[in-house]
Amino acid sequence: MTETDVAAAVQRLLAEAPEVADQAVEVRAEPGMVVLTGEVESEQRRAAIVALVRDGFPELVVTARIGVVCCDPPADPEVLS
Amino acid sequence: MIRVAAVGDVHMDADVLGRYRPALQELAEHADVLLLAGDLTRHGTPEEAACVAAEFGGLAVPVVAVLGNHDYHSDQQDAVAATVAQAGIRVLEGEGVVLECAGGRLGVAGVKGFGGGFGSHTASNFGEPQMKSFVRTTEQAADRLAAALSGLECDLRVALTHYAPVPETLTGEPVQIYPFLGSYLLGAAIDASPTALAVHGHAHAGSEQGTTPGGVPVRNVAHPVIGRAYRVYQLSSGAPVGQ
Repeated sequence: MTETDVAAAVQRLLAEAPEVADQAVEVRAEPGMVVLTGEVESEQRRAAIVALVRDGFPELVVTARIGVVCCDPPADPEVLS
Repeated sequence: MIRVAAVGDVHMDADVLGRYRPALQELAEHADVLLLAGDLTRHGTPEEAACVAAEFGGLAVPVVAVLGNHDYHSDQQDAVAATVAQAGIRVLEGEGVVLECAGGRLGVAGVKGFGGGFGSHTASNFGEPQMKSFVRTTEQAADRLAAALSGLECDLRVALTHYAPVPETLTGEPVQIYPFLGSYLLGAAIDASPTALAVHGHAHAGSEQGTTPGGVPVRNVAHPVIGRAYRVYQLSSGAPVGQ
């Protein structure tokens, strides 16, 4: 499997696995490893994504650069007109 | 002056319950209305919709929403919309609503929208039935959005979609997937009426700010893009931008 095919397989797995259903995490495959980048809504979702890819591709090193999106109130409003 | 708060892609489920609530409790201090730009849920189930209702229902300001592609995943979009509506959240699909705000009448027209792309990299109504259906879906959504916007009797119009109406707010996403993130037809629909603001979600890795060809400000409020519980846009009555 080429790195391109690995990236496609991981991308589809993330979207189609019911326990994750994520289409927004970026997947980059390199020889022997896959890098996941993005932000999700909870720490549980981050852990589920990493576990899913590690279980599905045990031959790969999985590097997760996934954060949890901030839910603080906004700063000043943007004045548009 | 009317203050519009907006966020999209909140992807509610039980694990997210309560995360937005502290910021929402002070929403009325900052905004006259809250817009939810689709992908309210993860899988589009009524159970997840109940989480949306619990998180975004009962606020001190009106809440108006459109559904997103995730909300269709379980083929229960009508039940999702009904569950959310029971919490007082107005769900739009090819229709509009006028809200009486302290600063004037705010009209919001909403549609989920669909893909198709932009410029010379646009899908055409040609070939296999599946491709023609894809493009017709977007054409119909754009037509419904244009009709809903033009039918609003208000001081300020806002267009609410899940899919993007312009490519600028997709900057940061791979260009290969732009046709799955939005369509120029939505932008043309927005430009057909004098519109003060267009809000969308869907593009988690996109950029916040863009403009339609007609000059309407476009804001991508996908939660990972704005990085806050919501963003607030302050609009002045009597100054619609687009025409």
